Amino acid sequence: MAAVRERHSDDAPLADSSRATVALRDIHKSFGSNHVLRGIDLQVHAGEHVVIFGPSGSGKSTLLRTINLLEEPDSGSVRVDGIEYGPGVRGEPRGRRGDRRDLRKQVGMVFQQFNLFPHLSVLDNVTIALRRVKKLRRDEAEHRAARQLDRVGLLDKIGAYPAMLSGGQQQRVAIARALVMDPKVMLFDEPTSALDPELVGEVLAAMRDLADTGMTMVVVTHEMGFGREIGDANVFMDSGVIVEQGGREIYSDCREERTRAFIKAVL
Amino acid sequence: MVAQVTFDWSVVTDNVALYYSGVKLTLAIAAVSFVLATLMGVVIALLRLVRNPVISAAMATYINVFRAIPLLVFILFIYYGVAIAFDLDFLTAIQAGILALVLQYSAWLGEIFRSGIQAIPKGQREAALSVGMSRPGTFFTITLPQAARIVIPPTGNMLIGMVKDTSLVYLLGVSELLRVTNLLANRTFRYFEVYLATVAIYLLLTTTIYYGVKFLERRYSVVDVLSEIKRSRSPLARRRLARLRTLQETVQGGATAAT
Ligand SMILES: Nc1ncnc2c1ncn2[C@@H]1O[C@H](COP(=O)(O)OP(=O)(O)OP(=O)(O)O)[C@@H](O)[C@H]1O
Ligand SMILES: [Mg+2]
Repeated sequence: MAAVRERHSDDAPLADSSRATVALRDIHKSFGSNHVLRGIDLQVHAGEHVVIFGPSGSGKSTLLRTINLLEEPDSGSVRVDGIEYGPGVRGEPRGRRGDRRDLRKQVGMVFQQFNLFPHLSVLDNVTIALRRVKKLRRDEAEHRAARQLDRVGLLDKIGAYPAMLSGGQQQRVAIARALVMDPKVMLFDEPTSALDPELVGEVLAAMRDLADTGMTMVVVTHEMGFGREIGDANVFMDSGVIVEQGGREIYSDCREERTRAFIKAVL
Repeated sequence: MVAQVTFDWSVVTDNVALYYSGVKLTLAIAAVSFVLATLMGVVIALLRLVRNPVISAAMATYINVFRAIPLLVFILFIYYGVAIAFDLDFLTAIQAGILALVLQYSAWLGEIFRSGIQAIPKGQREAALSVGMSRPGTFFTITLPQAARIVIPPTGNMLIGMVKDTSLVYLLGVSELLRVTNLLANRTFRYFEVYLATVAIYLLLTTTIYYGVKFLERRYSVVDVLSEIKRSRSPLARRRLARLRTLQETVQGGATAAT
């Protein structure tokens, strides 16, 4: 069971962290003089769905981007599926620097702005990493990609270019592009924020299907209803720290005043 | 009194071979200079973008200096100034001309390529890295192909400029189109006919390049649905389409069989 689910235990058993799929320890990150992450500890266990919420500028995206090392931590350590990277935790001898790319290969990411490759067809968007990173043959790569696209309901679009797709379709391609690499954990950074309201549903449905398959997920979202629905562990962030985390009950019964104020404002 | 103007085009038709030799040299100088300038331009753009502030500043200086000198001044300076002062007598007039063209055009092209690369959103790089691609792999498969599409039109303009600017090396005695024309006109006194033919030839060359560039532009604009459909008439696109159909059927068939 997930340590993060026991919301009132500040002294979560440390032994558990060695088995977590993702473990962040004492992460600090500054942009210039802006201290954005101020000592983040977070564990995500296999199959768990973690929802991160909090006010704008609180560091949610930065935290997510630290998990796949798009942001380098100033101190602390990131561990994904046994691969550890980072300058290390203060007071400990020294950090371990596993290979950054090896760690990234275990993590899939879905961006707010989709970030599909506009010069490549839908199929090539999904095959490119299979070919370039996993070095698969073209046939094999295309079959895997087509199966993944079928799963998000876009098999008929494999020949299209991203510009010809709706935002919802583009985001589903982006989900397929990440999933096809068989990541251990999937990160979502406000995947529906850039979508027209009528297209939000199809992307949430794809994420719900994915959650049902038992994929480990970390989701930053402003869709509190959706967060409440899939979140096994719910993390409230403010000003670069995790203020509080807990199970579904956090939405109705939380410990911290700041959390209560935020939830009241957005729900 | 109205001047009686009569044209005698035989001076042109009798000298087709001469024009041809001039065009050949003009195009050869332009082609060699353009290829070298493009290669150097890519290198300059990349060095301009490295994090090392010294290298980046050095490239910025290169760009600003070589762009700012009038090309004719630069050509004369290299051939008569630098070559003589430093005893570079192995440097032929053609080589000096090409050197000047390459130095100047690589500065322009470097700036064009830099802005093309920088126009690609950061999210593109991040998406590629997030699926495990290496930095060089990301640059060559994601950033560069997109930047190349963006820089096609301005680079085409540079090529047109290059063809026109080769005429400046006639001052070094290089027998390209303008110089052979010039000699012919001085010899025959048929200035109008001789120069008009030259004007027409330059116009033909630059217009051809212009339409070539337009074609490339359309060929590589993926958002243009119409060109996409046109492209699908080609055998290559047909084969690709057939391939996709098969793929769809296989996956669909597999899915139905599984359920
Ligand atoms: N690359 C960067 N350079 C400088 N400052 C940055 C950078 N990325 C983020 N920041 C700053 O870090 C802080 C946290 O940003 P972050 O994007 O993580 O917040 P967020 O919680 O995701 O907000 P939002 O809900 O608006 O997406 C903000 O003050 C932001 O301006
Ligand atoms: Mg954000």
